Amino acid sequence: MTDQKQRITEAEAIEQAKQGHEPAFEILYNLHKRRVYSLCLRMVSNPAQAEDLAQEAFLQLFRKIGTFRGESAFSTWLHRMTVNVVLMQLRKKGLPVVSLEETLEADDESPRKEFGTKDLKLTGSIDRLQLQRAIDKLPPGYRTVFVLHDVEGFEHNEIAEMVGCSIGNSKSQLHKARLKLRDFLKFMRAEKAKTG
Amino acid sequence: MAGQQGAGLLETRIHSTIVVTLVVATCLASAALAETKKEYRFTVGPNANISVDTQYGGISVHPGSSTEVVVTAILKSDSVEVDQQQNGNRIEIASHLLQGATEKTGQVNYELLIPADATLSLHSSTGPLSADHLQGDMTLEGTDAAVNISNVENGHVHVRTMRGPITLTNVRNGHVEIASISGNMQMKAVTGPVVQANSGSGKISYDGDFGLSGDYKFTTHSGDIEALVPQDVSADFRAHSMVGRVQHDFPLQSKHSRFPVELGRSFFGSAGKAASEVVLRSFSGRIRLKQH
Amino acid sequence: MTCSDVQQLLPELLDGAPDAAFQAAFDSHVETCPDCAGLVSDLKLITSQAHDLAETDEPPTRVWVNIAAQLRAEGLIREEETAPGPVLVPSSPRRRWSAWWLAPVAAALLAAGSYVVSHKSAQPIAQNVPPPQPVQSAPMQSAPVESAKTDIPTPSSTSVVASSRVAEQGPQEVATKSGHSASAPPRVVSAPSSKEDQQFLSMVSTLAPSSRATYENQLQVVNADIQETQAYVDQNPGDADARQHLMDAYQQKALLYQIAMDRIQ
Repeated sequence: MTDQKQRITEAEAIEQAKQGHEPAFEILYNLHKRRVYSLCLRMVSNPAQAEDLAQEAFLQLFRKIGTFRGESAFSTWLHRMTVNVVLMQLRKKGLPVVSLEETLEADDESPRKEFGTKDLKLTGSIDRLQLQRAIDKLPPGYRTVFVLHDVEGFEHNEIAEMVGCSIGNSKSQLHKARLKLRDFLKFMRAEKAKTG
Repeated sequence: MAGQQGAGLLETRIHSTIVVTLVVATCLASAALAETKKEYRFTVGPNANISVDTQYGGISVHPGSSTEVVVTAILKSDSVEVDQQQNGNRIEIASHLLQGATEKTGQVNYELLIPADATLSLHSSTGPLSADHLQGDMTLEGTDAAVNISNVENGHVHVRTMRGPITLTNVRNGHVEIASISGNMQMKAVTGPVVQANSGSGKISYDGDFGLSGDYKFTTHSGDIEALVPQDVSADFRAHSMVGRVQHDFPLQSKHSRFPVELGRSFFGSAGKAASEVVLRSFSGRIRLKQH
Repeated sequence: MTCSDVQQLLPELLDGAPDAAFQAAFDSHVETCPDCAGLVSDLKLITSQAHDLAETDEPPTRVWVNIAAQLRAEGLIREEETAPGPVLVPSSPRRRWSAWWLAPVAAALLAAGSYVVSHKSAQPIAQNVPPPQPVQSAPMQSAPVESAKTDIPTPSSTSVVASSRVAEQGPQEVATKSGHSASAPPRVVSAPSSKEDQQFLSMVSTLAPSSRATYENQLQVVNADIQETQAYVDQNPGDADARQHLMDAYQQKALLYQIAMDRIQ
């Protein structure tokens, strides 16, 4: 019931926003600001930049709201627009959006043993801040695919289309990102254990 | 007794008046909404020029006699009139809305029979507009009108809509320019020497072989572009999307080019003997080249 | 199944729909290999925890303040209006719409777009790139519409806006950009000229009120496309293809004006 009420409210807000009503724009902004900003922040790891990108994503959305025909969910539309805005920014800065490697390399696959894995497995829950810091340390290409897939829930075919790579590439980048995150998190835990 | 009879008479008169009033009102209403069919005939020579302009209603054109233009107009109500004028070989037909006309009551639907090689100009806000089996030059414009052009040879075809979809079928050897702000465009068996399609947010779909030695340019801002071609297609292909994804489902012979080819965003290559040139451009739409 | 096989199959096993036989072999190996078991467990944990990060952060208030200010500046936020009434049609004989200032505005839009495309980024402004000439206006039709009560602005004040702003801003842009002063392209003013757009919509409201929403909607679309492309051109000034797309976006706006001129009576 709550979801239905919210959906109706969003639909009404969209129609009113098409007519230029400021409160309607604000309703839509408040409904989606966390998702949009969090996505930008995860992908660029810089709060000031994430603010600018979130602002640009909403502006682009509101400028085009007249074309929204309700064929897909509004949030999906906004989500994709946000991703496009961020990817454009990454390309502009010359940062690799995604690596073109297709195959998994054998060296990357073997589990690391240097941190005493048996004693410091990632059991229980992972500290959210630590996970955020670990994601920030990922190379931009890995980070993009990881954020889009594991954080934002896009499928590999969607990621491949948005980012301009093959599905196989997307899968291999994701796998490498996860392995790297595992290494980072174990290292952080090991450091924390040393300092007590 | 007399008073009661008087009251009864009065009541009857009141009832009668009400009934008569209702009948008259119904007749008037019916008359206002009654469709009227009118026919106009014009004698013309070679290279006739025909223009039809209606705010509301569709226009359909077919080939007829080479020396006569026949216009059949179906008026939805008496809130609209048809103005018609002939100056030599030039014929102008226009719907003229009267006070109080609405989109419904001001509608006029036209059917025309014209010489196949006549020059044609059609305008409507609501449409639909259609032209079939003609050979002359034509301009079709509409706001939301759906435009359908089929079985046209050798003519100049110009179409402009705001949101109305545009469909071209079997338009051969034409000089085709179609533009829309957000209307979708569908082209099936459409060949040049020149075919240009521009849509802002509408989708452009092409199904055909791109003919021989033609120039084809499809451009969108955010709309997708999809081209479906046969195995024996013969064309140079260049595709680029600034932000959207670009892909082709069959191998192209790579060509040396000064244009930078960005993986996933552009491709440049040829198929067959590269008889035609095909340029597919979009700002943020997806571009796909597929084979039957 | 070996540890190496597990590494190869992990992506499919974690995210895909694995073959039942592979799944069985995988499960059997993991039961007996603590290292692979640890790896699988860790990756699943990372994936499940990652999803919780989707909406953790809230942007500062200034983000909305900036968005609202920009929407107002672009005219996307406007005052309450009464809903348009039924179509009113002038009782006088059919006559053409005489907002003749629209034709030069449309031409100015095309001129501004052409200037963007024709300019080469490597060329110094002062030497090779003259600003476009102001567009000369011409009355479109003879008889004014009697029923129109809106003041028609003179072409000198409106029709050259787009092109003259290009001329004005070019040298300033060159002077202020450090490090690129000799070669920076002039900044074309963003196409949504609110004054012209408002006059355009005002005209539509007067002559065809039931169509206003449609034209306004399409105007927002074309303006958004121009701004989006302009932003891209600003970020990639040397990209000729981007400039061509900006010209295409201007042409779309000119098309909208032309369609309006043709249809509204």
